[in-house]
Amino acid sequence: MHFAGVDIGSTMTKVVLIDKKGNLLSTIKGPTGAEYRQLANEVMRQALEQAGLQIDDISYIVATGYGRLNVPFADRQITELSCHARGVYSLFPNVRTAIDIGGQDAKCMKIHNGRLVDFVMNDKCAAGTGRFLEVTAATLGIRLEDMGDISLKAAKKIQISNLCTIFAQQEVVALLSRGEKLENILAGLHDALAGRVAALARRLGIEPDLVLTGGVAKNTGIVRAMKENLGCEIFVPEEPLLTGALGAAILAKEIYTKAAAVGEALPTKSRRLEKATFFTQEHR
Amino acid sequence: MSWFTGIDIGSAYSKGVIIEDSELVASHIIISGADYRKSAETIRAHLIRKAKLTQNDITNTVATGSGADSVYFASQKVSDMVCTARGISNVFPQARTVIDVASQSTKVIRLDEGGIVINFTVSEKCAAGGGRFIEVIAKVLRIDLSDFGPLAAKSRTPITFSTGCAVFGESEVITRISEGIPKEDIAAGVNKALASKISSLVKKIKLEEPCAICGGGALNAALVKAIESELKTNLLVPPHPQLITALGAAIVATVSATSQFNKD
Repeated sequence: MHFAGVDIGSTMTKVVLIDKKGNLLSTIKGPTGAEYRQLANEVMRQALEQAGLQIDDISYIVATGYGRLNVPFADRQITELSCHARGVYSLFPNVRTAIDIGGQDAKCMKIHNGRLVDFVMNDKCAAGTGRFLEVTAATLGIRLEDMGDISLKAAKKIQISNLCTIFAQQEVVALLSRGEKLENILAGLHDALAGRVAALARRLGIEPDLVLTGGVAKNTGIVRAMKENLGCEIFVPEEPLLTGALGAAILAKEIYTKAAAVGEALPTKSRRLEKATFFTQEHR
Repeated sequence: MSWFTGIDIGSAYSKGVIIEDSELVASHIIISGADYRKSAETIRAHLIRKAKLTQNDITNTVATGSGADSVYFASQKVSDMVCTARGISNVFPQARTVIDVASQSTKVIRLDEGGIVINFTVSEKCAAGGGRFIEVIAKVLRIDLSDFGPLAAKSRTPITFSTGCAVFGESEVITRISEGIPKEDIAAGVNKALASKISSLVKKIKLEEPCAICGGGALNAALVKAIESELKTNLLVPPHPQLITALGAAIVATVSATSQFNKD
């Protein structure tokens, strides 16, 4: 008996396979392209290969994330909020607040005993999401994954006065041409994003323990800036990208086990993977 | 004879005019770039050359726009709101509402019978509320800004955006392109989205007709039409919509110079 969680986010696609005891069998992360359906098949194939399993070995599959409706072999779709809450709780049993900053949105969740009780999110404005860092990294000509570490070297923080990502991009160019140091500009950019996410989280009310997830949680500069803005300890999972897919896999296991206990047969989708042919490959 | 200069340093374009007895004698427009001081100097040099004058012929210069501080040779700086109002009243004395679609923001100004500003509102600090949204999408579509309006005018089925953010809108446009949606439908969709934001801004301070439109956005005839159909009114479009605020600054220069002389 094995279970799978597939999380198709706007930027990254993630798969987690677990066994009946909840042990991790394999994890896959890859960039999300234009063809969600093909991608779902491809990442699932990779995850199965890593675990040495066949698609028929998977008892129940849950899909989540922005592209969850495009996973043809998933038995059930569950919102990423519930999946994140479940995934974070499995790693941090004392969690009360979880903040997930993704490539296209930011979500703040209140979790009581592993259940999602309330949430707020921003998916309206890029300035409060990981996209803010992606856009400004491209403008500065540095790699997204280097941003945080460089920002930690800053001697001072240069305040970014523009809220809008597009105007901030222009401001960054002006700051560079004025001779401001890269690390100081970066510290300001990280503080700006952290400040906006912190304001969102305060609307919900912050209770410890606080866990930060999503791709942006890998950024050391953001973790520090969030600590400064919120004034509390922040826990970050080893793989902050995977909590949604992990939660989806755990929920798949729970749904299946509960149904099995009462002798109910759950309807499942066809266990057949389509051949992945990426017509968009050459465009990327 | 006396000549007056108005210089409007905006975030995207810098504009300048020389007037004589409220008549336009010369105008110049350049991209603002990173050095506003240099842009101001360049504009002054071109204006004087075009008007066949020397610097000493200019009685007074007034600066406006977000980079007004960089116009070090101006005798004073005046808010762009006042200058836009003055400029539009000069062209359309009957106008009671003005929409100024600039790159960084959109302003809506209400005027009384004497052309005095009685109320105003400015779009939020968000690229989706101003002309910048069009600039961003024009770049993705790889078309000139001046072709944006004519292209949009060809569309019969404009796309609808699911987002109000210019950054997310850019991604959405890339998706639409990959789906094979024609460029004109995308351009028309951008105009429609911007027109709807602008019209809610106008409704916030209540439309009083006649209404005029100026700023670089007014060069986009399809956008003007989209705003007209949102507001259900005909808009007055001046012949040089981008120059209105600079023209207003030059008019302010005339007035303040006169009052100075009176003091003496």
